[in-house]
Amino acid sequence: MISRASLLLLLAVTLSALPAAAQQGVSDTELVIGGSNSFSGPLAFTGDQITKFGVDLYVRVINDAGGIHGRKIRTVYYDDGYRPQDAVANTKKLVEQDKVFAIIIPQGSPPVVATLDYLEENKVPLLFPYQSSPVTRGKRYVLQGMTLSDRSSKMMIDYLAGQRKIKKFAALYQDDEYGKSFLTAFEKDLARFGLKLVGAESVKRGVMDVSAQVAKLQAAKPEVTFLVLVPGPGAQALKERQKIGWTDTLMVSTGPLTDERYLALAGDAAEGVEGLSLWPDPVTSDLPGVKLYREHMQRYFPKNEPNRYSIAGYFAGMLFAEGAKRAGRALTRESLLAALESFKGFESGILPPITVGPDHETQKQGFWVRVEKGRFKQLTDWLKSE
Amino acid sequence: MRHAALATVAAVVVGWPWAAPRYFVFLASLIAINAIVAIGLNLLSGYTNQLSFGHAGFLAIGAYAAAILTIRAPALPVPATLLLAGLVTAAVGLALGVPCLRLEGLYLAMATLAFGFVVVEAILNLEWLTRGNDGLRVPAARIGPWILATDTARYYLVVAVAALLIVAAVNLSRTKTGRALLAVRESEIAAQASGVNLAAYKTLAFVVSAFYTGVAGGLFALVVGFLSPDSFDVFLSVDFVAMIIVGGLGSILGSVVGAAVITALNDSLAGFQNYRPLIFGAILVTSMLFMPGGIASALRKIPGAGARPPR
Repeated sequence: MISRASLLLLLAVTLSALPAAAQQGVSDTELVIGGSNSFSGPLAFTGDQITKFGVDLYVRVINDAGGIHGRKIRTVYYDDGYRPQDAVANTKKLVEQDKVFAIIIPQGSPPVVATLDYLEENKVPLLFPYQSSPVTRGKRYVLQGMTLSDRSSKMMIDYLAGQRKIKKFAALYQDDEYGKSFLTAFEKDLARFGLKLVGAESVKRGVMDVSAQVAKLQAAKPEVTFLVLVPGPGAQALKERQKIGWTDTLMVSTGPLTDERYLALAGDAAEGVEGLSLWPDPVTSDLPGVKLYREHMQRYFPKNEPNRYSIAGYFAGMLFAEGAKRAGRALTRESLLAALESFKGFESGILPPITVGPDHETQKQGFWVRVEKGRFKQLTDWLKSE
Repeated sequence: MRHAALATVAAVVVGWPWAAPRYFVFLASLIAINAIVAIGLNLLSGYTNQLSFGHAGFLAIGAYAAAILTIRAPALPVPATLLLAGLVTAAVGLALGVPCLRLEGLYLAMATLAFGFVVVEAILNLEWLTRGNDGLRVPAARIGPWILATDTARYYLVVAVAALLIVAAVNLSRTKTGRALLAVRESEIAAQASGVNLAAYKTLAFVVSAFYTGVAGGLFALVVGFLSPDSFDVFLSVDFVAMIIVGGLGSILGSVVGAAVITALNDSLAGFQNYRPLIFGAILVTSMLFMPGGIASALRKIPGAGARPPR
């Protein structure tokens, strides 16, 4: 009985000591961040690249240079395989067991949405979620990473309907939060030009056969067909179009889709496709930050090819490190948020100068590309969404 | 001896949220939910020898039923919500159980596997009700003025329901019905010859099993707080089968232990799910080779620990 009483006493002492203790996830020598991501399932390649070859690449660079204010960064990741309930369990585990300071770059709208309320309630920063639905907007503890769908849509429609005077648009979209948030935004932006979508066909998530939808869209005779899909069915739509000889439409991919994976899958059917790119070409760009990224990749993971996913994770790591640096030695969650909100014209060498502000959106731009001989060729300077 | 063991277990279960870290309270809720599913599946597979690979489908029906009720009828107290979720699922179980009477072994496994896929497709297509791929956020449930907003509150709800259903299952296994179900497992022909109405009891097993899984689904919705069709894939059904094989076919204690082992294992493998099938496979093969009766029958060799006399 004595031991039980002393245990209770110990517990009481520990509990009462908690509020006075330092910020969770921040010790004298270490800074712990983590996230739930897809390391199995449909987006496993993306998940691996943005975390283990993206965030961790920048973390290796920072740690080898002495860390942030004397603290080395440690990352913890768990696999949710794109299943929301696993994302919830993983996120709870990260916050309550691993005691992470912040969640970094979790992937996909459903897993991210499933954890939003929990993270807000527990005041845990959710840094740069890798998804494009505006559901993350207006949250105190979320800093959005990827350019949101309504901003992408505005840039795409302004460029196509405004500059290139195109009148007839159609969309092939994934039937979920990702696809529908783009569809809503397209309709709203087209209305500004007095236009409407002439056709819109949905594809269920996980379905690869899009032949019926492509045939229906062809009948609507659009000049431009937007592809709001994931790489597998996106490439399938291009192949299908080639097969049925539908040449009088321009296929345009949305930001999340404009990447190498989609190109490789579509082969020569991707030739001439245009799109909004959120990242400079990680393999060929001469921007100083991208060159440095390639050097770091060569040094730490020489077997891993540079790609748009790992550069997104690398960039997330860079923003976090910069925020933590600015917040100073006495780092807290609130001071990190304040530091990130203070970004004004931050030069990453990868994207145009970053200004964050109270809207918590770190990326608001993209540029126009066309596929020529299997690679993206830049057609415009950075487009603006404000 | 039995009473002392039971009292200890009860004390640990009740005291758990005060002794364990917060995450383990959540984890314990998941274990209890999975234990209810495992008991339900065991009543079907362990007692009447009908193997199901579609229980993720039943779980989904219960979960969505409870979530939709919580959203549309927020005044409804939680016990009523859970009961209704169980009944809806039981009705679906009846509809599936009757045509499945003609199927056995592999064919039944295939039919139930297909059922799991059909449920996911139905959730995807009934968008006005389920919000399809977008997923459904489940608000906190309430019993009168009491809102289940914390992990601890939800834990006590889950544990109370689980205890009730365990007692019910233990009692059922000791009645005429329980013996009839066991007789069906041992030999359908012999059972029929002894006057057991085969069709009625096999269907009953399906309905009761679906009811248990539906209630567990309702609890799952409340504890996890977000539902999406991605949650209820075929691997979840396989996990449930693994629980009863590792724990012990035809044993209620085994179901609980199996659920605890598999859930805890899943949790500890969260960092590297790519190896999960390998590790699970190895555990299944090992337990079938060296512990064909599951953990429950291995435990039985320890005096005082057995829950049910050996068959």
